[in-house]
Amino acid sequence: MAVLTKTEPPPAPPRRRRLVYRLRVLRHDPTAALGLILVILLAYLVVAPLVAVISDAFRLQYGDDVHAGQRAGEWTGYYLWRVFRSQISGLLFWEPLLNTLVVAVGTTLFALVLGGGMAWLVTRTNVPGRKWLAGALVVPYMLPSWTFSLAWLSLFKNERAGGQVGFLQAQGVHTPDWLAYGALPIIVTLGLHYYPFVLLLVGNALRRIDVQLEDSARVLGAPRRVVIRRIVVPLMLPALSSAVLLVIGRVLGTFGTPYVLGLPADYRVLSTGLFQSIRDRSTGVASVIATVIVVIGVLIVFTDMRLMREHRRFVTVGGKGAMDRLSDLRGRRWPTFALGLLVFAVSVLVPVLTLLLSTVTRTPLDLSTFTLDYWFAERLPGAVGFPHGVLRGSELWEAAWNSLRVVGLASLICAVAGLLVGYVVVRGTAPRIVGFLRQVSFLPYLVPGIAFAAASLSLFAVARGPVPALYGTTFLLILVMAVTHLPYSSRSGIAAMTQLGREPEEAAQIAGASWWQRMRRIVFPIQKGALVTGIVLPFISGLKELSIVIMLTTTGTQLLTTLSIGLVDYGYTQLANAVVLMIALVSFTMTYLTQRLTNSSLASGLGG
Amino acid sequence: MPAITLRGVAKSYGGGDYAVKNLDLTVPDGAFMCLLGPSGCGKTTTLRMIAGLEQPTAGTIAVGDQVLDSVEGGLYVPPEKRGMGLVFQNYALWPHLSIRGNVEFGLRMRKVPAAERRSRAEAALRMVHVDAAMDRYPSQLSGGQQQRVALARMLAVNPSVLLLDEPLSNLDARLRLEMRAELKRIHEESGATIVFVTHDQLEALTMATDIAVMNDGELQQLAAPMDMYARPANRFVAEFVGSPPMAIVDVGPSPTGLAASLLRFTESRSTRVPPAAVGIRPEALRLGAPPGSAWHEEALVEAVLPAGSSWTVRLRVLDTELYALSYTPVQAVPGDVLTCWTEEMHLFDADGVRIPSEGSSADPSGDSSEGSSEDRVEAGA
Repeated sequence: MAVLTKTEPPPAPPRRRRLVYRLRVLRHDPTAALGLILVILLAYLVVAPLVAVISDAFRLQYGDDVHAGQRAGEWTGYYLWRVFRSQISGLLFWEPLLNTLVVAVGTTLFALVLGGGMAWLVTRTNVPGRKWLAGALVVPYMLPSWTFSLAWLSLFKNERAGGQVGFLQAQGVHTPDWLAYGALPIIVTLGLHYYPFVLLLVGNALRRIDVQLEDSARVLGAPRRVVIRRIVVPLMLPALSSAVLLVIGRVLGTFGTPYVLGLPADYRVLSTGLFQSIRDRSTGVASVIATVIVVIGVLIVFTDMRLMREHRRFVTVGGKGAMDRLSDLRGRRWPTFALGLLVFAVSVLVPVLTLLLSTVTRTPLDLSTFTLDYWFAERLPGAVGFPHGVLRGSELWEAAWNSLRVVGLASLICAVAGLLVGYVVVRGTAPRIVGFLRQVSFLPYLVPGIAFAAASLSLFAVARGPVPALYGTTFLLILVMAVTHLPYSSRSGIAAMTQLGREPEEAAQIAGASWWQRMRRIVFPIQKGALVTGIVLPFISGLKELSIVIMLTTTGTQLLTTLSIGLVDYGYTQLANAVVLMIALVSFTMTYLTQRLTNSSLASGLGG
Repeated sequence: MPAITLRGVAKSYGGGDYAVKNLDLTVPDGAFMCLLGPSGCGKTTTLRMIAGLEQPTAGTIAVGDQVLDSVEGGLYVPPEKRGMGLVFQNYALWPHLSIRGNVEFGLRMRKVPAAERRSRAEAALRMVHVDAAMDRYPSQLSGGQQQRVALARMLAVNPSVLLLDEPLSNLDARLRLEMRAELKRIHEESGATIVFVTHDQLEALTMATDIAVMNDGELQQLAAPMDMYARPANRFVAEFVGSPPMAIVDVGPSPTGLAASLLRFTESRSTRVPPAAVGIRPEALRLGAPPGSAWHEEALVEAVLPAGSSWTVRLRVLDTELYALSYTPVQAVPGDVLTCWTEEMHLFDADGVRIPSEGSSADPSGDSSEGSSEDRVEAGA
């Protein structure tokens, strides 16, 4: 009989011995090597660009040495001075910052009122056609955000910017500048795009609130109004604050709408200002602005996280009380339905129909000037830059092919990388590698896409060491697109791998399968579903992506989105609208099909 | 069939905490060894180290003559080259492969020709009685069937070492009983060396040829099941093995009540060391008229809990709560005062280590299940 007294751990074997043993183990388990490769790649693709852009903001660029009185490459405060304190800093920074704030706050309020109201309508009332409304009101989010701005122009454009005027002006109604361009139209069109975002977040939260909480208050004698004010709204605060901050974050990085509706009236926001500085080749100033955008973006997400953490203490667990209890609208049911329908009409039907009609009429929306020339004509007189219908010639098809190729490859890379990150995080034995991967793969989430694109330009525009200059190459575009979508794919990759656990792979290992065999026969086949959604969601959002693309493409590589913006620049309204309609059609169809086929909710793919 | 030997094996996840501390363990050739202990005691870590899925921080693991891990010698054989079988607690069947695909996988990895693969997979599935479900997928099977498939998947490659990580804990009571008998049969038929991890002492007692009780990363006792039950090496084993658990009364420096009564009795039996604690198994505590020399006291019946074939009685003896387990009907009702007595006590010293009783130096092992009481304090001696 073995009786054992307390044992002490054995003396640790000599360092060298342990190292030999450790290396033997590593040779048979590529997970650690894979983790290390991912760490290096992420450090290079995510961290290095941000470091580069920040350092560019403090280093004198070539060509500026005369003005600054320093030599190129030296540390300098010149750009800070130029952006924040010089005579042109109002134009460069303060005015765009103010405009950005105005637009962000306005858009958020607009989206909050519309989205919050509609969320209440479709989750807590017995409005007719509730299910249909819930689906239909999300559609605006499936369209590219600047669809609305082009529709706006088709309706309200005046003679100021040249080119064809809008519908109202053509009818002889003068549209003043404040209606045609600037803050108001930007706020309205962005609000129409982002309210579904609020609807989804708030709707989910409303659905999760336990009705028993409200009933308890009612039983204790609180009238309905008080229940809403004292119980429902406070419980909704986390979702509301999250929605607010996320919308602000999105607006901060949005490019298309302020470009289309702002620039003709010289109404600049930070994103268009950044674009302008890059185009003007003032790298130093662009770096400062990009850094500011990055900092604001980081602050927003951190605030959101902190609020969420604080609010976690009153997470409501939906028990059986979470069943639907709808307030009866009684006589107001149909008027309320009409209101929902109106919102749908304004946010989907009107813009899409406007765009569609504008492409088949010579004078906007005047059906007496009906023509299919803008789609099919072999020759379009007067359009020098694009002298034929969009479906003719090679431009559209080349751009479509480029979009498919670039976005497809980026999505594929992104999904595979996401799964691999998930794999290493779940299998990983080195806590430091796991921690780094978790955090850095999430980092691009903090940075608005346009700022990240600017950061990538800082790093890759010039040759550094063995890496040649990548500006204007599709390779760079693919990389940056993949990296900006990495937060979503790595999150879902980690979730999928955690759910799978390590046992299935270990079982294969015990059964004698080598690492490659395990990956090929067990891990990837099981994760097929996760991989497909991991590709499709970034693909849809990448197809609509403009801000990153516009920063990184040159005329050599046109994508559908840049092609349409190019046509806007030329003033070929009908042609631009036609291209945007095609993008909207493809992105809507794909989102719809994916949701149908995979039962995934749009809320999980809010990466647009 | 080879024996598995662990020498000085330790596992630390850093920070000075050890999941396994300096473990020396030999699993004899052809044994059915249970690693038994509460959760977090290091038993699963030990199993995973034998399989090669975790690496020890120090020590050597070998099967037969082949060293699989030696931190000091810089030797390591990866799990896929160890040729063992491992059944996971949650079965870990591959959801994208059919039952046949699951069972054939190991053979495919060993490059066994298709025809032989087929027949061997079928034979393995027949052995666990799920050959009818061969072309279905894991999600279409019940938990019990999945468990059998997981077993067949390992049996198909005919491993000489089979490792089982709490494979019965997710089954319902009836299936668990059935699978215990099944595992015992498979052990006899295949002749494999089996290492079985469980926290269920009943499972260990019923199936194992050897039990290793672990706690806090340390081996507490290694013995044949009935030996362990009859002569637990220390207080931990005494309390962990047996259900309901053994009652242990601390004696202390100035004992009163029940402790004093027990101490007086043991002192009259002249043990070499005065015990620091005295243990009584519920089934050894009897009710009714005591034989002349047994320890006995008056007991107040507090509750009677019949369970069909047995009766558990909660007693208050000299202000201490004790449980008695009886296999004959108990007629008492709460409030009755009876006499309780026992002839079997387990004595422990101040370190919690068992104090062998007089004349137990020639400790007979093995047949201790039936009334062998040399190692107990014999009331009539």
